[in-house]
Amino acid sequence: MKFLCIPCDEQMQTQTDGIMPAESKNISLKFKCPKCDHSIAMLTNKFETEFVSKIGVEMGGKSEVGSGPMSVVGTQLAEGKEELKNAAPTESDLEWTDEAKARIQKVPFFVRNMAKKTVINYALEKGITTIDAKLMDEVREKVGM
Amino acid sequence: MKTYEDLAGDGGSNIVDQVVSQREKLRGRLDKIKHKISIMSGKGGVGKSSMTANIAGCLADRGFKVGILDADLNGPSMCQLLGIDNKEKLNIDKEGVDPSIGALDIKVMSMDSLLPSPDSPVMWTDDGASAVWVSTMECTALRELLADTNWGELDYLLIDMPPGSDRIDNIRDLIPELEGVVEVTIPSALSQHIVSKSITKNNNLGVKIIGLIENMASYICPHCDEEGALFEGDDVKELSEKKEIPFIGRIPFDPRISKKSQSGKLFFNDFKDSITGKAISQAVDNILKSIPNT
Ligand SMILES: [Zn+2]
Repeated sequence: MKFLCIPCDEQMQTQTDGIMPAESKNISLKFKCPKCDHSIAMLTNKFETEFVSKIGVEMGGKSEVGSGPMSVVGTQLAEGKEELKNAAPTESDLEWTDEAKARIQKVPFFVRNMAKKTVINYALEKGITTIDAKLMDEVREKVGM
Repeated sequence: MKTYEDLAGDGGSNIVDQVVSQREKLRGRLDKIKHKISIMSGKGGVGKSSMTANIAGCLADRGFKVGILDADLNGPSMCQLLGIDNKEKLNIDKEGVDPSIGALDIKVMSMDSLLPSPDSPVMWTDDGASAVWVSTMECTALRELLADTNWGELDYLLIDMPPGSDRIDNIRDLIPELEGVVEVTIPSALSQHIVSKSITKNNNLGVKIIGLIENMASYICPHCDEEGALFEGDDVKELSEKKEIPFIGRIPFDPRISKKSQSGKLFFNDFKDSITGKAISQAVDNILKSIPNT
């Protein structure tokens, strides 16, 4: 699947930041035209979301965390060993509360790292060092759909 | 207006590259493992998993480096059979997860290795997921268990399949060089009926059948070595002739075989010289004979 901006005749790029999907099965992906900045959203239903999640690929390109071992099993198991789950958000010096960690884990695999990046960038911009659920709500308010 | 072909890439996700690198990672693992063999049964409860464990024990006893992939995702039993403590911490590095080490240094990767307690169920986070999605998830899980485990160099990787023949097409796709399948049945008519379906399916998929093992063929009294029948049933040898597959072993039941390995040892290695131990060893001879270059 590729997206074309018709007025510019230019391929639209996956927008890798500024997205904050809900922890649900209906998520949206944004694409942006590099020429005119026009952006569109691709909306997926539960099945489409699950399907992409389980292939183990990430939108916006492979991330450091996503290329870790057993990244799908580790995050999809309802009960798994701590060591598996810990592949979660630890990059940068920011603290994540347990609630925030749990919430980001619920974001579908293939957009999780884009969402994480969005939250981190927002926190850094505001000079916030601890990411909690309230901050995630704020981000959602700002960039979510 | 530009067409699909005019656009290079997929807009920044490089999905094709990601899939290719998944495949390459798997290939890198598999290339270090000389022989891969699946153990299947049509029906549950025919002693397939303990047969897998004891075949592994026999191979390890002969000096081979052996691993077991517990592909029975919903009913994992390999950790128990090989005396692996669930409390062991997982060792994870960038390359993968270290397998659990069981009796005779047999390497094991099982869902049990990943769960926090022996009682934890294998459950996926999507509550209310349909059967189709659970199946897709299991398929992904198999790929990760295979590709993301630090198996190292192995002579044999045994794959303990779930009962039935559901996942064999996944395994064949993941491991095209699979040596083949060992089918385990018991002398009961029902078990043979179902294993016969499994054989047909494998034939249709082009998966080689190494042979048929008749488990629980008779009962051996551990005190006097007296042999008696356990099941009233059809001749398994006849089934193998009808299906034109090799009959590779007739394993008498020894009650000690299903005992949980608390000593960290397997039945085979404790009772190598028992009637059942010798029968397992002979089945292993037949398996090795069927594999070129062994
Ligand atoms: Zn445009």
